[in-house]
Amino acid sequence: MKIDVTINGRERSFDVPPNTLLLNLLRERLDLTGSKYGCGIGECGACTLLLDGEPVLGCMTLAVDCDGRTVETIEGLGDGDGLHPIQEAYLEEGAVQCGFCTPGFIMTTKALLEEEPNPSEAEIREYLKGNVCRCTGYVNIVAAVQSAAGKMR
Amino acid sequence: MSSKPAFKVLGRDTQRQDGVAKVTGREKFASDLSLPNMLHARVLKSPYAHAKVKRIDVSAISDPTVVTLTPDEVPDARFCPRLMSTPEATYKDWTVLTSKPRYVGETIAAVAAESEEAAQRALESLVVEYEEFTAVFDALGSMEPGVEPIHDYIELDEETLKVESNIACHLEIEEGDTEEGFRQADHVVERTYRTNRRYHTQLETKSVLVRPEPNGGVTVWSTTQTLHNTRILLHEIFGIPMGKIRVMKVPIGGSFGSSIQVNPVVPIAVALALKARRPVKLSYTREEDLHDHCSYQMIFKLKLGADREGKLTAGHLDAWLDIGAHQIQAYPLLGCVVGWWVSLYKLPAKSYVGKAVYTNKVPSCAFRGYGNPQITWAVETLMDELAEKVGVDPLDFRFMNYIGEGDLFWGQGPSVKSVIHSCGVEEILTKGAEMSDWYNRPRAETQTGRHRRGWGMGRGYHTSSAGAPVPGTVIDFGGAMLKLNEDGTFDYVSALMDHGGGTLDANAKIIAEELEIPHHKVNIVRADTGTTVYDVCTHASRGIYSGGGAALKVAAQVKQKIREQAGNLLDAYPNALKFRYDQQREQAVVYAEGIEGREITYKELAYTMRNKNLGTIAAVDSYRQPSCPPHFTGYFIEVDVDTWTGKVRPLRVIAGADIGTVINPKLAKGQIHGGLAQGWSMTVNEDTPYDPTSGDLWNRGFISDYKVPTSMDLPSLEAFTVFFADTYEPTGPFGAKGIGEGALNPVAGAVANAIQNALGVRFYELPITKDRILEALKRKEVEA
Repeated sequence: MKIDVTINGRERSFDVPPNTLLLNLLRERLDLTGSKYGCGIGECGACTLLLDGEPVLGCMTLAVDCDGRTVETIEGLGDGDGLHPIQEAYLEEGAVQCGFCTPGFIMTTKALLEEEPNPSEAEIREYLKGNVCRCTGYVNIVAAVQSAAGKMR
Repeated sequence: MSSKPAFKVLGRDTQRQDGVAKVTGREKFASDLSLPNMLHARVLKSPYAHAKVKRIDVSAISDPTVVTLTPDEVPDARFCPRLMSTPEATYKDWTVLTSKPRYVGETIAAVAAESEEAAQRALESLVVEYEEFTAVFDALGSMEPGVEPIHDYIELDEETLKVESNIACHLEIEEGDTEEGFRQADHVVERTYRTNRRYHTQLETKSVLVRPEPNGGVTVWSTTQTLHNTRILLHEIFGIPMGKIRVMKVPIGGSFGSSIQVNPVVPIAVALALKARRPVKLSYTREEDLHDHCSYQMIFKLKLGADREGKLTAGHLDAWLDIGAHQIQAYPLLGCVVGWWVSLYKLPAKSYVGKAVYTNKVPSCAFRGYGNPQITWAVETLMDELAEKVGVDPLDFRFMNYIGEGDLFWGQGPSVKSVIHSCGVEEILTKGAEMSDWYNRPRAETQTGRHRRGWGMGRGYHTSSAGAPVPGTVIDFGGAMLKLNEDGTFDYVSALMDHGGGTLDANAKIIAEELEIPHHKVNIVRADTGTTVYDVCTHASRGIYSGGGAALKVAAQVKQKIREQAGNLLDAYPNALKFRYDQQREQAVVYAEGIEGREITYKELAYTMRNKNLGTIAAVDSYRQPSCPPHFTGYFIEVDVDTWTGKVRPLRVIAGADIGTVINPKLAKGQIHGGLAQGWSMTVNEDTPYDPTSGDLWNRGFISDYKVPTSMDLPSLEAFTVFFADTYEPTGPFGAKGIGEGALNPVAGAVANAIQNALGVRFYELPITKDRILEALKRKEVEA
């Protein structure tokens, strides 16, 4: 099936079988491997990306459902030279350990801060609960979201 | 208080060198890699917990391009996938593929095809005929007479051993007269404990990419904690000369011990790639990964005796380790379990009987702490009970008996002994008690109402590496290469892996400290087996203590060469030269103090040496550390227990850690944060029970049914305090020790003691789930 999708600001056309997952399209056709495969069935949040600005799981989204829509992945963040304030905050706060869950967390954080620029700690924890991190105990991640919110205000 | 030197680089937060790649999604993990012309592999997993494969028929695969691999096509060498021990301690019972599956999920065959989908379709066309055997899922039951043997024969140091009663290996130790020790005791407590069987839930599933090379060799990118042992094992299985096996360093998406062994996907993909003569990628699904590894479930019968003053007099431990269907490191673990136990508290007499038992379950492997979280939970629980009997506060009881500075210590087992030279236990416990107002905590059984609160404490340690003054059965040394580049920067090349804790950055900072430069001048090179000297593995919390020790050793050698070369060029005595960093020029300067004009920057030195054909300043060396100093930790934890639902919530956490010199404060605290999270859910959440009918995991491999904590389940930022003791380890690089595993080890004991403090009920089985809490409360009510 022929689809047109804007990915990280660039319009692209694909011919895909109808069962193609957005995650596989990004990883296999475009080598955009920042969205991670962690479970493939919506359990871990490592493939979180933005579809028309809303956080979705790449492994639970059909590519054909993205026709005419806008996809933003971790690779689309920042402006090429500089980092996005969320990316800066994650590094400054020590929120990155193995880094495998990091892109998913950063994209979820972006969605949160666009919805609510000034979230409380409880709101941050609630919003991030679908993203699993096994390294950090979420402490420095929550601190990074708070710091990013400050930077973006 | 220690008298630490003033550091220029260490002790300050710095950004990790791989940070930008990780936050921009440009970091490539093994599971992200691909190569042109690559085939995708899938594996056939046994649906039976114990069976024999009578026949595999591949003829129904319609796609002629599919490459298949069956047990008779792989080398039949038996091996142990974990190579951290000497041959006499390495039991071998694995093969690349098996025709006798011993757990649901064991790999029988593999296929490779143009796409993952094509590989899956081929897999579904395989016809396999099985003969099913009875299976056993409980370690104690497995040793009963008449139970179907799981392995008939295994190998040890090229000898064949017959397996009796499904006991994989055993270890007995006695020091002092235990019977007499118990006779001297005024109070004795004996309890039986059973731990859970946890899944690592590392975010990246086990993955590998293999490229066959025209010279008959292979290049391997895999999820691993050890490049060199991967190469040794592939050499031993396939007979490929080592120089033709290149194992490349790729970042690993979490491990927590689950890639100490060479993951089973690696030799399978190598065999497929050699057969197909094309690159092969094999990346497990989450369900497959959950059928690949888990922690050791342990059953302990623990007995401790104390005199009326509260001094321990004797201890006895019976330990049964449920190792699952294969040995990864059962025998060394038997040594460590006793080591962890006897190195917590002074026991004048102690005895131990440990047995590692096969069951028809997923093979167990190290999981952060390597048995230490399990035994420390049991000991810390029992110490509280015994303190109560003696009539002293549990914290005071620990002060009276802990093993600290000047004491002999053998955490890594009976063959790895050394003396403790730095100890922050007293500082950790004193500060923690103050901050938690420990002595005024509520007493058990004084609370009523739906929500009950309790404080618990637990202390422990882990070794930093497995070093010792003399060799034992544990191999532990590393190495590094360092060279001065022409712009005055350095390349640091090492086989050491960074699990995410910032180990390599810490070691780059150790080098920078020695060479008096900012840490960004030390470039961490991502290397491979062909370009690095041997390093055993990043495990045992050895990355900074041992890996940093190697880094410091080569940095000191490089510094000496800089002195000599600069001395020649400056017409100065090498040993009189001094070093400083010039912020304006952004260069380190070597100079003769007080003599004008006698100075040269690293950059000038390197360029001059190049132009005069004098060579490169570089050093490469191996390093064996003289000790394995414990890094001590202590937790004070307050919980809330909802007696209506059984739900336990963390209210406050105070964690103290003695890690010697702190190199990266935020990342070091991050280790404690992660340790608390894993320990918390070890205590109240995690387990992988089996369905005895199907022989499969009850959760079928889904992490939705294997609860790890989310951001909602852990204490708020304000409620979680971490502090470091002021210590300096004289044998460590600039006084540093490890932290990774000590961060976790005492957590379960502290949480369990807090639950007891809240409810007045003790639990002897992990996890302490809501169901178990409600059941216990009901029982208590009936008894009352």
